[in-house]
Amino acid sequence: MKNPYLPNKYMILDVQHQTDIDYTFRVACDIAPKNGQFVELSIPKIGEAPISISDFGDGYIDMTIRRVGKVTDYLHNLRPGDHMYLRGPYGNGFPLDHYKGKRLVIAAGGTGLAPVKSIINYFHQHSQEIQGLDLFIGFKSPKDILFMDEIENWMKNERFNVVLTVDKGDECWTGNVGLITQYISQESIGKDENLEVIIVGPPMMMKFTALEFLKKEILENQIWVSFERKMSCGIGKCGHCKIDETYVCLEGPVFNYTKAKKLID
Amino acid sequence: MSLKLSREAFDDVLKDLGKEYKIYAPIRIKGEGRFSDTDVVRYGEVSGLDEIEIHEKAHFSPKEILFPITQTLFYFTEGEYQEPKYDEKKIIVFLRPCDINGVTRLDQVFLENGEDKDIYYERLREKVKFFMIECIEGFDNCFCVSMDANKTEKYAAAIRFGDDMLVEIKDEALINAFQEKGEFVNFEPTFIQENLVNVKLPDIEQITTETFEDDMWKEYAQRCIACGRCNFVCMTCSCWTMQDIAYDENNSSGERRRAWAGCHVDGFTDMAGGHGFRKNYGDRMRFKTMHKINDFKKRNGYHMCVGCGRCDDVCPEYISFSSCINKVTKLVGEERK
Amino acid sequence: MDINTKKIKKNAYRVTKVRGKTALRIRVPGGHLDVKYFDIIKEVAEKYGDGSVHMTIRQGFELPGIDFDKIPEINRMIAPIIQGLELDYGVSIDDIEGGYPAAGTRNVSACIGNNVCPFANYNTTDLAIKIEKAIFPNDRHVKIACTGCPNDCIKAHMQDFGIIGQVEPIYEASRCVGCEACVKNCKKRVTGALRMENYKVKREEDRCLGCGECILKCPTGAWRRNPEKYYRVVIMGRTGKKNPRLAETFLEWVDEETIIKIITNTYTFIEEYIDKEAPLGKEHIGYIVDRAGYHVFKEYALKDVVLGPKAQVANHIDFGGYKYERNIYFTK
Repeated sequence: MKNPYLPNKYMILDVQHQTDIDYTFRVACDIAPKNGQFVELSIPKIGEAPISISDFGDGYIDMTIRRVGKVTDYLHNLRPGDHMYLRGPYGNGFPLDHYKGKRLVIAAGGTGLAPVKSIINYFHQHSQEIQGLDLFIGFKSPKDILFMDEIENWMKNERFNVVLTVDKGDECWTGNVGLITQYISQESIGKDENLEVIIVGPPMMMKFTALEFLKKEILENQIWVSFERKMSCGIGKCGHCKIDETYVCLEGPVFNYTKAKKLID
Repeated sequence: MSLKLSREAFDDVLKDLGKEYKIYAPIRIKGEGRFSDTDVVRYGEVSGLDEIEIHEKAHFSPKEILFPITQTLFYFTEGEYQEPKYDEKKIIVFLRPCDINGVTRLDQVFLENGEDKDIYYERLREKVKFFMIECIEGFDNCFCVSMDANKTEKYAAAIRFGDDMLVEIKDEALINAFQEKGEFVNFEPTFIQENLVNVKLPDIEQITTETFEDDMWKEYAQRCIACGRCNFVCMTCSCWTMQDIAYDENNSSGERRRAWAGCHVDGFTDMAGGHGFRKNYGDRMRFKTMHKINDFKKRNGYHMCVGCGRCDDVCPEYISFSSCINKVTKLVGEERK
Repeated sequence: MDINTKKIKKNAYRVTKVRGKTALRIRVPGGHLDVKYFDIIKEVAEKYGDGSVHMTIRQGFELPGIDFDKIPEINRMIAPIIQGLELDYGVSIDDIEGGYPAAGTRNVSACIGNNVCPFANYNTTDLAIKIEKAIFPNDRHVKIACTGCPNDCIKAHMQDFGIIGQVEPIYEASRCVGCEACVKNCKKRVTGALRMENYKVKREEDRCLGCGECILKCPTGAWRRNPEKYYRVVIMGRTGKKNPRLAETFLEWVDEETIIKIITNTYTFIEEYIDKEAPLGKEHIGYIVDRAGYHVFKEYALKDVVLGPKAQVANHIDFGGYKYERNIYFTK
């Protein structure tokens, strides 16, 4: 019998410090995920944690991990050459093909950028597959900004419209300040059959950003969100991520807004 | 095949079966109950008929036999994962029809929900035979008839306890153990037809976000103390959490366990970093209620709750789950049959 | 009027501020009684008293406004109470129609106990009755109370002997889900004797009061009761005009038999050490212990007592409280 809880051991190839508390780990592995899926990251004797895959390529996956608990505390001490254990990938991921040929709008708040980063990078490399990409990225402050190098690259893409904003600036910050909803409201986004919106971030940010798009006459079925929940098993057994009849780990974490709006915790 | 056996003969059969099976049944543990000079009735291994307590509902359900309260998933030595040794001995459980129906719900979650089967549950489940305790009168707070969980066919043997024991044997593997020990009779178990408590089930088509946001849940925000007793005594509550431990200071060995979790208990929805989704106790009551009598059915076609009433028996705040179901039904209208 | 006050006092009557009137104290061992006795109390109060009854702090009834000359009649009337609440409990009283034969050793009071209260660790009334049987009637001034748990609702800490129920919690680690309900509660309400380690609970025995709160709070039955009954005995608490103080722990984790034995032993100690010159021959046990010393008392109290393996005895007691008169123990 196959034991679905048994993880595999993988080697860390690279560790990038995005901020003081957000590190990106590149791990050599054969997991071939879909954009927006997650894995259960496992450190023996410490625990497991659901982690979204921030990027992937041939023989590797990237995970950007914030130090917020026991497992991630331990993880942040690991170096290239060390090992970690993973099982997965789990969840549905974003329907990438559905977005092709359309204008894509992505609103990401904080670490919410991680699960959509691979989509952005995909369309950055395959710009001809979409009409355009409007990217709204918000962080709490300049020191919280993740993936700055990549954001700068995306800004250079002529099919991309990138708005980077922070809730609160500092003495060096010359960029946008304010919530992303404020920038979305200024943008010429409106009723458009050929548009798809992805929103990922903290629960409150997703709620208000979605309302902002709805105000602009974007249809509910054009909006996609990704949920974060406390998933212990990742395979529909432990019950922690169930909302109504939906298991976030099985049917999510990506939901169309028509569904997501009905999911009351 | 049905037999009548003397109590002594039945006891002999149990002793005989005990060589091949671990036999679990409700037992009374004298004086070790929650309050002083009270007993606890719960599942334990038995070796004879007289150890089985049938006059009182077991305070905890038999789910702990199939889904242990804590269960080691892996041992760790030097970073290697090792599964615990597998106990080959087969299992017999004495339980009532509601609890057998409860196992169907556990099967649904552990074996049918998602693509993967829960191997730890499956391994125990495959070894279990059910000895159904005939239950004609029920107990306080039982509402199995309303939940359509008063009857079952899924048993290896059905037993009527009395001065003589009546047994219907369905599982051929058991015939040898029984047949020389009693005389053939016509016996089929009777199932309870009416409980002291009845609930009306809601029309789940009419359950909407308004139902979720209704004021009825506010009362529970005040009354519930989030102790989780209702979750833990429930036959069908199947949630759990991973726990990793290191045995010693130098961290060289340890284990990964799972332990029962309850949606009423603090921390159930808390993610690393502290954000939790149901801080309000009324929300937790609503979540549990909806799982038991709404969303499980939407997903699987039948209700999760089997009406054993243990949650009502145990709640220190006298919150009655059956009353709560009735309140939901009053709000949205009765199920159309 | 010619009244032998010494005699009527021993008979549970007293001299009151109203000339010619006395008051009777009815004992209710363990503080629990059948309501049928109310009829007798009512009849006595209406017929011979002023129609009222005072509920005493020791859980007795005091009937005021009685004429001294009615004492013999009243004693005959209360015979069924003495029968039901003394003789039937095993107390030896020769003349059942003669009223209470002694009043020095006070009624043994009790909280409501485990008949009703979820916190109580034993049947306080039953133990109080057993103690009553062992020590009554007796002229020596001793106050005893039984309380079900360290909440001490009966105020056992204000007695010469306070019996506090203890329970040994048994922990079944495999039933513990690590919800921490017991740990949080013990920290908040009790002594913080519990802590989490590797998702399981560790109990620090020296800190544990044996109150049983962990058992009450546990949602999975991981904490169970040891059905064996244990008690903590606090001694020599008192009020009064010299040195009010709370009782201090003498014994922990002892059994019922030990309690009865140490209390009866204490009477031997009293006979040996009481101030023979004391006014009215009356001296409270606490003051006798003060004079003789804890170690002498301890030796007497524990004579022939076989303590169980869990039992603990205080090596030394540093009684607190305060003294109204600074030089109370000095002679000028």
